[in-house]
Parts: sequence; C-alpha cells; structure tokens
Amino acid sequence: MTTEAKPRALNRLQSMYALRAEVDKMYEGGVEASEEGKPVAWVMLEGWSNAILNAMGVSTVFPENYSSLCAAQGVATPFLDRSEAEGYPTHLCGYARTCIGYSSRMVELDGEIPPEAPAGGMPKPVLLVASGEVCDARFKWFQSLGRFFDAPVWTIESPYPGLRERLMEGAHERNVNFLIKELKAFVAFLEKLLGKKMDWEALEYTGGGTNEINRWRWEINELRKAHPGPMNTRDFWSAVTAALFRGAADPDVITKGFERMYDEVKERVDKGIAGINRPERYRLSFEGLPPWHSLGFLEQLADRGWNFVIESAYRPPRPITIDLSKYSDPMERYVRRRYRRLEDSLREDYGPEEAEIILDEIRRDGTSPRMGLRHIKDYQVDGVILHVLLTCRSTSAGLNLLQHRLLDVLKVPSLVIEGDIIDVSAFNPAEALRNAEAFEETMDHYRKVRKELGMPW
Amino acid sequence: MAEPSKGLLRAQEIYQDRSRRALELQKQGKKVVGYLCIYPVLEMMTALDIVPYRIFGDMREPITKADSYIPAVNCPFLRSCLDLGLKEKYSFLDGIVTTHICDVGSSLSGIWNYTVRTPFSFHIDTPHTLHETSLEQERGLLEDYQKALEDLTGQKMTKERLQEAVRVHNEQRALVRELYELKKQDPPLISGVETIRVIKAIQSIPVDEGNKLLREVIDEVKERNDGPQKKSARLLVWGSILDDTALPEMIEGLDANVVMDDTCVGSRAYFGDVELTNDPLDGLSHHYLVDIKCPRTFRTRDYTDVRKDYMTDLAVRFSYLRDYVRDWKADGVIMESVRYCDTHGYDVPGVRDYLDSVGIPSIYLEHDYTEGALAPLRTRVQGFLEIIE
Ligand code: SF4
Ligand code: SF4
Repeated sequence: MTTEAKPRALNRLQSMYALRAEVDKMYEGGVEASEEGKPVAWVMLEGWSNAILNAMGVSTVFPENYSSLCAAQGVATPFLDRSEAEGYPTHLCGYARTCIGYSSRMVELDGEIPPEAPAGGMPKPVLLVASGEVCDARFKWFQSLGRFFDAPVWTIESPYPGLRERLMEGAHERNVNFLIKELKAFVAFLEKLLGKKMDWEALEYTGGGTNEINRWRWEINELRKAHPGPMNTRDFWSAVTAALFRGAADPDVITKGFERMYDEVKERVDKGIAGINRPERYRLSFEGLPPWHSLGFLEQLADRGWNFVIESAYRPPRPITIDLSKYSDPMERYVRRRYRRLEDSLREDYGPEEAEIILDEIRRDGTSPRMGLRHIKDYQVDGVILHVLLTCRSTSAGLNLLQHRLLDVLKVPSLVIEGDIIDVSAFNPAEALRNAEAFEETMDHYRKVRKELGMPW
Repeated sequence: MAEPSKGLLRAQEIYQDRSRRALELQKQGKKVVGYLCIYPVLEMMTALDIVPYRIFGDMREPITKADSYIPAVNCPFLRSCLDLGLKEKYSFLDGIVTTHICDVGSSLSGIWNYTVRTPFSFHIDTPHTLHETSLEQERGLLEDYQKALEDLTGQKMTKERLQEAVRVHNEQRALVRELYELKKQDPPLISGVETIRVIKAIQSIPVDEGNKLLREVIDEVKERNDGPQKKSARLLVWGSILDDTALPEMIEGLDANVVMDDTCVGSRAYFGDVELTNDPLDGLSHHYLVDIKCPRTFRTRDYTDVRKDYMTDLAVRFSYLRDYVRDWKADGVIMESVRYCDTHGYDVPGVRDYLDSVGIPSIYLEHDYTEGALAPLRTRVQGFLEIIE
C-alpha cells in the first residue's frame, strides 16, 4: 500500500521565487561592478539613500540583508565568533556582528571576498552609507567598520521625533527642509567622492519607481485581508527583500514581479485558496523581525493551522497621490513624495473620526494606545507572536508594551518568543512550539471574549 | 537647631535621599521636571525657574515591575528607571524630558508616557551627526522645547533669563572642573566614590544650590587630611552610566584610585562651556550637539572629507582621553558598560585601539547593573592592576 505524502503545510506563492532571485542578482551585480572598477557602497537600509546612490550609478549592497542570508544558509556563526574575538560585545546586533566578522575575514584575505561567502559575497566598499534612522546600530556599526576598511562613512540624518512633537506648529515643514538639505549635502559628498554630477532625472526614476513598487505591495496586502488569508508571512519575507534592497536599482523589474504576485494572490482570493495547505484555524500577525535561521518553524505552525496573514516589519506605506506640480526642485519632490504629515497619515489610515480621537490622545498623553494596532483589526487577527530579539533593541523595546495594548484595546492575546535574527542558539524551537500549542487555548478564550463584547471577529 | 550640613556630608545626604530638596521646593510652588541623560538642555529649565531633576535607576533594587513593559534584553539602567517610575518613586515629578540618547532611551519616552504618565513630557529628537543641517535641526528642536516649557510654566523664556541660566550653568561646569583639578594630585584629594556622590547630588538640586554645594566641597577637600590614601595605580574610568558608587568602591577597595572619568555621571557633562552667543539657543544647540563627547553622536574629522583613515578618525574621537590620562597621570583605563548598551558597546574596540596606539593599557568590564554582578569583576580588575604595575 502506498501512502500519499502530505503536502507541505505552507502554500508558497510561485511569483515569490522570481522576486527572491532578484536579491541574489544584487550581490552578483555588486561583485561584477567591483571587478569592473565601478563603485560599490555598503548601505544601511533607510528611506532615502538607495535611490540617490543608484541614480548616481553606485552599486549598492546591504550588509544587514547579507547577514540574514548568511544566517539562512547556516554560515553566520564563524563570523559571529570572529566579531567576538575582535572585542565586540556579544549583545550587539546579530547583523552587525556577522558583518564585522565578515569584514575582519576580508582583512585576513587582503580585501578578497571570503570563499565561504554565500551568493558570491560582498566586495570591498568604496563608501559606507549609515543611517540615523531606526536604530543605533545603523551608524555605530558602520563607524566601527573603520577598523577594517578606510572607506568613508556618511550617516544620513532623518528626523525621528516623538508623536506629540511631530504635531507642533512648524515641526513638519522644518523636518521636510531638514531632509532636503541633508540629502543635498549627501549628494554633494557623493559628487566629490565620485567626481561626477548627480543625475537628477535618474532620481525621478529610481525614487519614483520605489513608490510604484510600494503601491503594488500595498494592494497585495489589501488582498491578504481575505479569509482564508491567501499569503503567509513566509512569502512576504522572501519577497520583501527585493523591494527593499533592489527596488531602487531596477524598479521596473521589481514592479513587474510584484504585479505578478498581485495577480497570483488575487487568483487565490477568488478561489478561496489559503497561504497554508491546512484549514486556517488561527489567523496571526508576526511582530518583530523574522528568525532567519529557523524559518522552518513557520512550517510547523502552519501544520497546526496557524496562518500568519500579516506582519509588522516592512509593511508598505499607504499609497497617496501628492500634487508635486508646485515643486520644481527634484530633491524637494523626492522628499515631499514620501515624508508625510502625521495628521494626514492618521486620517487616511484610521478614517477622520478615529484619527481625531488618536490625535487628541497624542496631544494629551504624548501617545495613543490605538496606534500600531490597525492591522490587527483589519486582518481580524486571533493572536500575535512577539519576537523579542536578543540583539536588536529597536524592534524589541516596544513589544511588551504592545502586548498590553493588544489586550487592553482589542482583546487580542500575544505570545512572546525569544530568539534572534542571526544567533540560532538564542532560539529554542521545541520550547517555542510547546508554548505555541498552549497559546491556542488562550486564542480560543479571547475569541469568546471578543464575541461577547460584540467585536467583529 | 542643628547647623545644616555642608560640603561632602551634605553631598552624601542628598545622594542618599535625592528627592528631599526637590520636594521642598515643589511645596514652595516650583515645578520639578525629571530628565534622562545629559542632553535635555538644563539651562532652558533653569531659565524658567524649573528644578531639573535627573532620573536615575537603582542598581540595588531588583527590577520587578518594568519587565512587563520592556523586555529584559534592553539597557538595565533604563529598565530600572522605568521600574522606579512604575513603583511611583517619580510620581512627584511635574514633567519629564527625554532626548534621543539611544534607541531604548528614545523608546522609553513613549513607554513612560503610556505607563507612568507624568503630567508633562517632551522629547527632543537630538540628531546624531555634526552635519550643518543637524545643528540647524537641533536649534529648531530647542525652539519647540522652549514653547513647551513656556506652556508648562506660563512664563516667557526671555533672552536675558536664558543668558543668565547659561552663565550660572557654565559656572557649575567650571566648578566641577575645579573639583576635578583636585584629583590630579597624588593621592587625589577626592575619591571616585565621593565624586559620584557630589555629581549625583548636584543633579538633584537647582543649579545655584549645586554651585554653592560645589564651592563648599572644593573648600573642604582642599583643606582635608582624611582624603584618599596613595595607591599603586591611578585609573581613568570610561563608559556608560555609573550612577552608583558600587563600581568605584570595588576599584578603590583594591590598590587603585579612580582619578578621572569619562562617564555621564562624571566629567562628561561639565568639560566645556556653552558659548554665550547673542541668541543663547545658538550656543546651546552647538554645545549639546557638538561639544559633549558621547558615543551616541557620530563624530568624524570632517564629514565632507571623502578620505578616511582609521587612526586619524580615532584620534579625532578619542584624543581627549589621552589628554585626561596625561593630565591626571592615569596608569590605565577601565572601560565599563552596562550590558545591552549598544552605543558604548560599538566603541569598545575603537577606544581600545586608540589607547593601545598611545600606549595606555585598558580593560573592558560589562555588567548588568546589579550590585552582585560587580563581585566577579573584582578579580579581573585585580589582574589588570597587576599588569599595569
Ligand atoms: S533594527 Fe535591529 S536588527 Fe536591524 S540593524 Fe538595527 S539593531 Fe540590527
Ligand atoms: S547606558 Fe547606554 S543604553 Fe543605557 S541609557 Fe545610557 S546610552 Fe542608553
């Protein structure tokens, strides 16, 4: 008697594979550019520099993504060890430590790419573009790479004000002007470094293209509200790197990739096909960065009918149409296209009434418990996984507070899973699975609570 | 009535019961505003007669409430601050001012607003670089801060009031430096333990009272004959927050004196004056962004220079440490940091490289901001002392 093999629990999107392959092209492109004597920059992901660098003909590679690639391929540990041997504390960002170890290995090899480096490796940079956005690692890490390379570091400043402070009169315009001037200073620096002038027309293409990609990503996410959820977060993560890291370099190709993904997800919605090959028992959101080294864990959860229908990291911004006709300065157009007034985003995201409540709360308390919960409601999530990372402060610091707010405001329970983006030893899959099993009862309980309160899911 | 205590004794009393004076002043109608770290431009509070009151943690008190709101993989000092906030130890504050000192410091402002709910709060998004744009931005942020403080007090922060505040805070900086001068002698006239008590005390009371206290301490220390004993090693301590005497106590319990420091409950806030510019906000923004040397700011030789050279870069960032070592005749440097402090953590190999390059021995100690964590470090310090002897 033959037994038919059970299909894998995750139902992967075919359109994802082409997008994922684009990221490999980024590294191949970096190596090729370096071999041809063209400039290669190592860049921290942030909202602004990538399009500018690509418009200037600089090949960009992203060590944080590269580190996740090393983790996914199981080759990060020796780099982590090297970083420790260099004297860097072990609590620092796992991406940073992988990159530091990689850089130290390059020095050992006289600047050559380590033969064990996956995807062809990252060539030696002529420039490091750091960022004051999101986390301290984004500039401290690149500053510390001075131990290994004499490449100059430029740190892109961007405003990161508190909520109430963003609402102060004049604050928004000041931030816009700050960004415009700051990015122009960056362009001046690049012109000096590269000995050539900025191609402003190219910026319209590289910068504008990213917006188009985000529009498709947004539309795909809108489709993901369907029941059953047509796309699991595993595919989101596999594809998102193409948008984030490759989008400015080749916007047309990446846009097409996401357009195809939209079609595939739409077809699934029309046919009622889920992102998992099991009945969807629970709809979940994943908050925090993924455990790149242990993504198989999602397969085990999918097998239990857990469908991660949405996630917090890298969600695309709502597309907006802004009248740029009165702005002729290309940098001003670039900034205004993307840097949004908090009041406007809230009104569009939450609708005018709820937005006013939120704005009042922010003015009064400096915070609003409702913010950051919109997706939980929209995607009718039963439970949330909070991935507290041993080495990333910026994505972990707020997670426990979120746990309170989820329960206080939406009666949605959450489960903390401790781990790391890179360091496999920080994650205990057996224990996480045991806790996940027990969490099902909690999710069941709160379903009843929400029902009693007349909530829509 | 007993004479009120003075000098070192008074500093110790304030160190042990920090809020007493602030509470008295609050009863007299003054506003007391808490602040985290050394970046919240204290002159602007003083100009409106607000009592700036620095928020500290307590490494002797176990964290029991904060873990529910902030994961344990974050700076234990900040977790301790929040813990004390949740235990209502800071409930008397009329307000709190935070700045973008570090990731968690920034996140804490939102978490504090949600949980501790101090009536007034303001967050200054201090930029990270010394770019010209950052300087303009810092100045703009201070204008907003000014508006917020004026709303809180219902008073106008005139140019004259602010200039006077700058003057009196500069006086405090000069007095602290004068006190540190007394640490240059061998043995130093004031110990590392006593220094922390004094600095913590002046960060708990209004600036003019702090200046009076400093004068008393300086006079007393100059005359004393019960100061620290001569020891084999003179040390400089570099690093993140040190708001308890436990670490210098451990070091000074061995054959060493802590003669100089570069920490934020030490010299960091006081070495360098605010320039008295016509518009005081110009001098203040420059001082707080450019002059204070802390790893939270990205400092480089000339940010428009497309060349880079590691050793020059290190010299630009850390040569003041060499000057400290030379002037205070330190034999070695203890680098210390609380666990999970990223800004200091990334600098550790760089500081060590720099110190190595100028022939100064160093050691790095990491601790989790508990008293118990310091005991095992004793052996390492002991070993270090043997090396430098
Ligand atoms: S956000 Fe976290 S994981 Fe990403 S670079 Fe910063 S510290 Fe590292
Ligand atoms: S010790 Fe480090 S992590 Fe903690 S508040 Fe200070 S700078 Fe931030």
